Amino acid sequence: MKISKLAALTLGALIALSGCATQPQLAEQDSIVVYAGRDEELVQPLVDQFEQETGISVEVRYAGSAELAAQLLEEGANSPADVFFAQDAGALGAISKAGLFTKLPVSIYDLVPSAYSAADGMWVGVSGRVRVLNYNPATVTDLPASVFELAEPQWKGRVGIAPTNASFQAFVTAMRVIEGEEKTLAWLEGMKQNAVVFEKNGAILEAVEAGQVDVGLINHYYWYALAQEQGVSNMKSKITQFESNDVGNLINAAGVGILKDSTAAQKFVEFLLSSTGQSYFAEQTREYPLTPGVPAADDLTPLSQIPAPKVDLSDLDSLEQTLELIRQAGLI
Amino acid sequence: MQKPPIAVVALGVFAALSALLPLTYLLIRLAAGFDRALVELLRPRTLELLSNTLLLTVSVTLTALIIGFTQAWLTTRSNLVWTPLFAVLGTLPLAIPSYVLALSYTSLFPWFNGFFAAWITLSLATAPYVFLAVSAALIRSNANQEEVARSLGLSSFQVLLRVTWPQVRPAAMGSGLLVALYTLSEFGAVSILRFDTFTRAIYNAYRGSFDRTAAAALAVVLVLLTLIVLYFEKRYRNSYTKIEKQSRQLRINLGTWRAPSALLLLLIALGSSVLPISALIGWSVVAKSWDLLPILQALGASLGISITAGLVIGVFAVAVALWNVRFSSRLSSGVEVTIWSSHALPALVVALSLVFFGANLTPGIYQTIWLLIFAYLILFLPNALSVVTTPIAQVSTSQEQVARSLGLGKLAAIFKLVLPMSKTGIWAGIALASLAVIKELPATLLLRPTGMDTLATELWAATETLSYSQAAPYALLLIIIAGVPALVLNAQARNLISEVNV
Repeated sequence: MKISKLAALTLGALIALSGCATQPQLAEQDSIVVYAGRDEELVQPLVDQFEQETGISVEVRYAGSAELAAQLLEEGANSPADVFFAQDAGALGAISKAGLFTKLPVSIYDLVPSAYSAADGMWVGVSGRVRVLNYNPATVTDLPASVFELAEPQWKGRVGIAPTNASFQAFVTAMRVIEGEEKTLAWLEGMKQNAVVFEKNGAILEAVEAGQVDVGLINHYYWYALAQEQGVSNMKSKITQFESNDVGNLINAAGVGILKDSTAAQKFVEFLLSSTGQSYFAEQTREYPLTPGVPAADDLTPLSQIPAPKVDLSDLDSLEQTLELIRQAGLI
Repeated sequence: MQKPPIAVVALGVFAALSALLPLTYLLIRLAAGFDRALVELLRPRTLELLSNTLLLTVSVTLTALIIGFTQAWLTTRSNLVWTPLFAVLGTLPLAIPSYVLALSYTSLFPWFNGFFAAWITLSLATAPYVFLAVSAALIRSNANQEEVARSLGLSSFQVLLRVTWPQVRPAAMGSGLLVALYTLSEFGAVSILRFDTFTRAIYNAYRGSFDRTAAAALAVVLVLLTLIVLYFEKRYRNSYTKIEKQSRQLRINLGTWRAPSALLLLLIALGSSVLPISALIGWSVVAKSWDLLPILQALGASLGISITAGLVIGVFAVAVALWNVRFSSRLSSGVEVTIWSSHALPALVVALSLVFFGANLTPGIYQTIWLLIFAYLILFLPNALSVVTTPIAQVSTSQEQVARSLGLGKLAAIFKLVLPMSKTGIWAGIALASLAVIKELPATLLLRPTGMDTLATELWAATETLSYSQAAPYALLLIIIAGVPALVLNAQARNLISEVNV
């Protein structure tokens, strides 16, 4: 079959297909569509409560943050979504870069310390998570002071990381921003030698629990979730922080942005940042509430006491270069 | 040459154009950043991915062919013990999504990863495709020739190679094609088992960097690989043998090999279904509690969508198969190649292409069940086609000619003669497509109507947080439900086996 013939046929099909299209329904005043890159079991009860309190009906699409970001990028201006609630800054940054978000009103943006939101006001942090060192106290007695120590030869085959995971990549981006490309590449190359590679944080935690690796780099709440599932006393592994200002202690955030501005969409974002919304995340996921005045769960080190590095989350949008380095090191 | 009925041509052309949509989307993405795409393709990593992908595809395809052929030959041609049991065990892995298979292995054996792991897992997961196709072909093929060959002094192995194999070759090659393209497009298992292939790299390009150009560049390589595989399959497939008359078959006495053969099949079954299902049952037991209502809703949605989509796909598959084997022309083989050409694309790519076209050109059906079924048609028409083609090809043309000479119209002859005679094969194709639909995840997640949860999406949601115990009930239910079409497929094979049993 000739190419031109194929092209003509395709075009014909497209025209035929577009002919079938009916006019999209006008969104009712009191309803919004939310794309949620977070767990349905977690988010839906909060959404139900919002619907009850405001009378605004919310349709939520659940999928992975990255898949939803890809979906939003393909949908472009025709997206049915009003709000994007994502698991990590990277997915929000991609949408922001494509110019699909509308700027948040100052009244919403100011609810959260600017360190946890986009500097340009396109999205705002909802809950915080801290990078921790997950370790097996039976085999690790001498804790590394810095995440950089894990690249040293004595850690060969003992470290679990998830190089394809968004949280890990955000942490490497922070390392690049703070410590520079060269030092980061050297560390990643050390990891290529030392690390056992996993797909997700949860799998690393399980491997540390099972004694398969001695330490792992994960987000804090995975440990608390497992501790809740099987009881703290049954946990074989522990979590700890590195020394003060170490990039291994990075604080990252899940956040939300508005694609189609409306009072209903703004009310939804405000609800996530209200004390109801914030304490819900604190209790359910052991994440850190980000609005001042809402306390974190009792067993957590307060966010202010985490020896986190100084970095602006909106500086972490240079994922491209990070992936380049991770690839160069041969980890993905 | 006879002209095909209009309906057949219309359905076939529609299916081919549908399959072109993802390819068009890739070209649009490439055109948007050609330089960027070239840079992506020219890195040394591409070569590494290519060799990984080829290595895995070739090993899995050969292994699945050997396993499936062995299972099929032993259960249909030998005096093996417990043939019905082994026939069921040969089909059952079809009901287990390969990511569930991989998850269950890694949970039992944390060290299980890399090439070896991916090879074993995917071979076991795909062997049923070969088993089903080859056992159906063996049953329909003529065993007399084998007996003649044996009486002429050929050894059993020579008979197998020189008489049996040529008879089942089209069916085996067809299923091998399915296995090869499945391996090329598989994401769940290779990512859990941490083996880097093109498909995994494509997913990572979307997920890690939202880099649609890089993803498209890699996906285009997959399409090229598919075309190469298609070329080889077509070249080595040979033509279909027409069956004029079913003959009674004798079963070969395995002698001292009887016990070891049974043991071998048991070992395969242990790895491919017993182990993973027991692991799932283990997790279910630890599950705290699970709500029945959402599970039932997901079950209903899964059943509804998979049956509907299976029937739609079945209609298209019959049309394309009829066109190809009854009214074959250059256009018809062009249509067939086009339909297959996008089959190695990761489901995520196909889904995103429909997001792109759906949201921007047909918002009326975007995120409705219609576009979802359309996606399944693009994704799984080849699965049905691979099963439907052989039985339709095997219906004798002379009978059809007689019917035509008695004044029956073209369509009437098809409906009254060809379709009834290949009925079981057509149902098998529908069952196979429904099975694939039930297990499908990425396209379902992106294209489903908002709020529609299926067993596969619920299973995904549960494993996202990595609580195996919460995921297990969904996985088990998925296997039980998917087991129904798997058993339908199997029952047909077994019926035929007992028909020929002496």
